[in-house]
Amino acid sequence: MIDPVLLVVLRGALALLFVTAALHKLRDLHAFRVALGDYELVPWPLAGLVATGLVAAELGIAVMLVTPWARPWGFAAAALLLVLYTAAVSVNLLRGRRAIDCGCFGPALRLELGPGLVARNALLIAGALAGLLPPTPRALTALDGLPIVAAIAFLSAAYAAASRLLANAPALRALRGEP
Amino acid sequence: MIETLVVSNLLLWVAVIALAGLVFALARQIGVLHERIAPTGALLLGGGPKVGDPAPVWSGGDLFGQPVQLGGGGGDGRGTLLLFVAPGCPVCESLLPVVQRLAVEEAERLRVVFASDGEPEAQRRFAEQKQLDAFPYVVSTELGLAHGVGRLPHAVLIDAAGIVRAKGLVNSREHLESLLEAHARGVASIQEFVARSPGAEQSAGGHP
Repeated sequence: MIDPVLLVVLRGALALLFVTAALHKLRDLHAFRVALGDYELVPWPLAGLVATGLVAAELGIAVMLVTPWARPWGFAAAALLLVLYTAAVSVNLLRGRRAIDCGCFGPALRLELGPGLVARNALLIAGALAGLLPPTPRALTALDGLPIVAAIAFLSAAYAAASRLLANAPALRALRGEP
Repeated sequence: MIETLVVSNLLLWVAVIALAGLVFALARQIGVLHERIAPTGALLLGGGPKVGDPAPVWSGGDLFGQPVQLGGGGGDGRGTLLLFVAPGCPVCESLLPVVQRLAVEEAERLRVVFASDGEPEAQRRFAEQKQLDAFPYVVSTELGLAHGVGRLPHAVLIDAAGIVRAKGLVNSREHLESLLEAHARGVASIQEFVARSPGAEQSAGGHP
């Protein structure tokens, strides 16, 4: 069971996340295609098609999350896409290919692969799966608006900050003289 | 009682969001600091020919099998912008569109040659992805050593007579443009163009 406030927060925050992710990628679709090619999981000629498909999927998930009747599908699709991304990252980490851009934020921020990225995605997957729990039967009141808006704002800022810190990690390693 | 709790809750939310925003701002600033301090150490160790010296002569085939001649003069009367890049170098990637545009604009005066080092297969994929097929793309460890390349992207401007006219780490569009500006206006010495664009050579770790 999950409180309806938490459910709305999860819907809002994940929808916001997927919309911004898709918009970042749309700003430079070619760069996303190149990032996708760097994963070396998709043949280069197909990378353009897959890149477009992934951006469309992200936008679709965001729409499903905010559409009342499609909500569970939205959460399930979000979890699935995140699992897919995490698998792609993990495969390349196992191959030892860390120094490639994850492609998460398009030209806005370069973020290299690392365990931190996997941990971040695991948290997001947990959030998406939590959204599949049945909601507690209670009506939302006007007072619930505050925690909903505030929590979504907080989660967005925390996510942006965490991404920046993850992006800084390689620079810090280089500064310490670590490989 | 309830009202107190509501007000207190409201205040706490405002504080939490403000703090999250501050953490974000700090993380961002740390990133900027990293950008500024990262290249300075390597830049001081920079070797290779000085500005005004003849550029090392190199000739051979490029990645696409075309013959390339660098240094020594006797070319087609154009200068050469030699840009050392590498796959997986984000700053290089961000610079490539600027270089491609400049190559077209300055085509009469300047030819652009890319140089790199490493596995040819990765280089070829990089060149194709970045649409660099139109340019000579040299893969040579000796060339990098001869020019004393430390950090990438490193640009060397060689005039038609084979003399190094400007060089340095080019981390941004501004660095590269000032390098070419020096060439276009016939500024001979590095001091002149450093004076014109402070920080172009000395602290090429440069602009935030």
